[in-house]
Amino acid sequence: MNELENARLEGLLETVQKPARYIGGEMNAVKKDWNGVRCTFGFCFADTYEIGMSHLGMKILYYLINQRPDALCERVFMPDADMADKMREAEVPLFSLESRKALNHFDIVGFTLQYEMSYTNILEMLSLGRIPIFGRDRAEGDPIVVAGGPCAFNPEPLAPFIDAFMIGDGEDVMHELIDVIRDGREKGLSRLDILRGLARLEGVYVPALYDVAYNEDGTLRSFAPNDPAAPAVVKKRVVKDLSAAVYPENIPVPYTEIVHDRMVLEIMRGCTRGCRFCQAGMLYRPVRERSMDRLLELADKLQQSTGYEEMSLSSLSSGDFTCLPQLIQALMDRYKDKRVSVSLPSMRIDNIVKQSLEETQQVKKSGLTLAPEAGTQRLRDVINKGVTEEDLVRSVTDAFECGWSSVKLYFMMGLPTETDEDLQGIGHLAKRVVDAYYAIPKEKRSKNGVKVTASASVFVPKPFTPFQWAAQDTIDAVREKQGKLRQYLKLKNVNFNWHESELSMLEACISRGDRRIGEVIYRAWKRGCRLDSWMEHFKYEEWLGAFADCGLDPAFYAHRERPYDELLPWQFIDAGVSQEYLKRENEKAKRVETTKDCRRGCNGCGLHTWNVCDWVKNPPLKDTDKMAAPLFD
Amino acid sequence: MKMIVVFEKAPRLRHIGHLDLMRAMQRALRRSGLPLRYSQGFNPHILLTFAAPLSVGMPGKREVMEVPIEGEMTGEAFLQKLSAALPPDLPCLSARPVDDRHPAPMAQLTAAIYQAELEQAPENFEATVQAYLAQREIPAVRKTKTGMKPCDLRPMIYGLTMKGNTLQMVLALCEKATCKPDLLLSSLFEFAQTPRPRALITRTQLLGEKDGVLCPLETL
Ligand code: SF4
Repeated sequence: MNELENARLEGLLETVQKPARYIGGEMNAVKKDWNGVRCTFGFCFADTYEIGMSHLGMKILYYLINQRPDALCERVFMPDADMADKMREAEVPLFSLESRKALNHFDIVGFTLQYEMSYTNILEMLSLGRIPIFGRDRAEGDPIVVAGGPCAFNPEPLAPFIDAFMIGDGEDVMHELIDVIRDGREKGLSRLDILRGLARLEGVYVPALYDVAYNEDGTLRSFAPNDPAAPAVVKKRVVKDLSAAVYPENIPVPYTEIVHDRMVLEIMRGCTRGCRFCQAGMLYRPVRERSMDRLLELADKLQQSTGYEEMSLSSLSSGDFTCLPQLIQALMDRYKDKRVSVSLPSMRIDNIVKQSLEETQQVKKSGLTLAPEAGTQRLRDVINKGVTEEDLVRSVTDAFECGWSSVKLYFMMGLPTETDEDLQGIGHLAKRVVDAYYAIPKEKRSKNGVKVTASASVFVPKPFTPFQWAAQDTIDAVREKQGKLRQYLKLKNVNFNWHESELSMLEACISRGDRRIGEVIYRAWKRGCRLDSWMEHFKYEEWLGAFADCGLDPAFYAHRERPYDELLPWQFIDAGVSQEYLKRENEKAKRVETTKDCRRGCNGCGLHTWNVCDWVKNPPLKDTDKMAAPLFD
Repeated sequence: MKMIVVFEKAPRLRHIGHLDLMRAMQRALRRSGLPLRYSQGFNPHILLTFAAPLSVGMPGKREVMEVPIEGEMTGEAFLQKLSAALPPDLPCLSARPVDDRHPAPMAQLTAAIYQAELEQAPENFEATVQAYLAQREIPAVRKTKTGMKPCDLRPMIYGLTMKGNTLQMVLALCEKATCKPDLLLSSLFEFAQTPRPRALITRTQLLGEKDGVLCPLETL
């Protein structure tokens, strides 16, 4: 940014909401000399500062890139609507927090893709950052725009805007990608040649090097590389040893309050429970744990470098971490005098934790969140959620005895094979939780009175899950079910929350979308859509208009059951979990058959051929071993 | 013992509110490894008091806080440890050890010096300022907790000088009477009958009183 723009920005900060989001300068923020590095990376999060700063993946990669002496990484967030408008009006470009550089000054601009409904923000950020929206319009000197994160597993909807996608764990491929772009730029290679170099890296997808053709009915006819540098199949990257992988020893500590304002220890990656609706559970396989030694080392360093008063453990299912009780005990021993509390994302109230709870106040009594997901055992078996009603009642009883009094229950509606009985089951479970509270003698339970909040989200079928072929309920069907649920949950001490069905429908269109959805996203953004996941900014009518502009029908993407022989837009990506396995799981779901957790023995999900999963030969649990208490996150 | 600490809130951080600044300082103290004292009770926090909260939008050149610690240590040692734990825009300038019974800076606060950088000063403004000060009474309306209240600003003004585009104000800041710099600027430009220019106001010094004379708060 030049001096004039800088002065105008200072003026804007006097007039916008929450200006502290745009100032940077936090403890541990890394400001390097631009003349002292060979490659600059603008790390973009397509949502506001409060959300983006709470995100672990960004912290890992920010730290990892800045560790390189030859590169720098600066953070860029989506400005709120008032700021975005004022920046445009005052001709202030989107800038990085560290050096206030305009986005188009970076060699590489990278987005982390966390949820589909942030995609219009990507376009808004490119536009504010003075980078051509479409990859094909970018000039030689423009940044290379890359993206990664869970949503990159179906990159097609963003193919027109992103030059290269990183599929899978980012730690290793990020270095390789920076090397290729740095060298390419220094050698004066053309944009296309740099992109070819990227396409040769394992786990990198360069959409411009692939051609797509469609059948008359709108389904995909073919998908193939048009360049020898591009592989027919793009294989996800896997970091095999998490203990050896880079993890931040310090993270920027924000001045203003953000959503998760604490230090986070990622204790493991992946999950083997095999819930059939869960995309993360499939994408992040195999399970890899960080060693206790490494975790304690990281915890100490993070605590000293941030001064945070709270630490949370992160993973898809922390309750399954082999040494969880030992870890929690070790953390509590260490932090007793330092007044650091440890909050557990998933509750597995082992005796050891229970005891510590009674001794100290070190474990935070944040609200207890449990996710039975479905109302009946039948439907829980269909989705392979290995939780029984008795598990649930035991968990909440334990928690109530430890002083908790408010419980959040998460459910999904619109799951495959769902009937009215399953919806009634949700009401039944909520009632059982309330009853569990009153079953405890008065003097042993909290005096606050019990509060149960039941939330029902709308099921969104996702790529690389056994339900990737399933149809989503129509908006009308969802509304009817919401009405019924409202009836079933008219209970004392129970609140009911539901999600906007329109948003879930669009999420379903985009998450399983093809390249043509990119055009829809572009039209929607042109029509003023941005910050879609913020209800006050969500413009459903404009989205429908965008579909109409492109001659596409949302129902084709969201509400249609896809046959097994249809070519799926994401099928060229090898996520480790094989399509055969997913089919097998989908068929089992139809037969209401469960699949065991693969810690009891390998289920042959596809990764067994990759030599990355230690459990194929040595499953850690025997059939007779008792499983850990139910898993709730 | 406790430390009387002087720190700066640099202009970059002017948009940070008082509570956020408090939290940032608490975390810095936790990083420092200094022997801090904690409050009792359910959610223990570090004992720490700012002499006067700084409003959002205003930088502070020499802000004062009091930090109780366990045991004894020199001001230099304290300063060194805390400095290492502070972000660049929140530097710590000095630390002075005092006895626990030493009165709290907050209780000794009398006034503060502010500097307003006017985007553009009206012509011959020095004379206007003189004339403004020469008034025996300066009626104004002050916002208080219970609503708008009429008041007289004159006794709350200790000094007012204009140099170039900078207006320096010494204004009462204590429990009994506080004149906000913003209110003074409004009143002054109303008196001058000219529109108020944009201005960045910085609090440059907190003041206490010793033998009837104003002096820097941290020296008391
Ligand atoms: S390879 Fe086997 S053990 Fe490993 S995640 Fe897949 S099913 Fe589970």
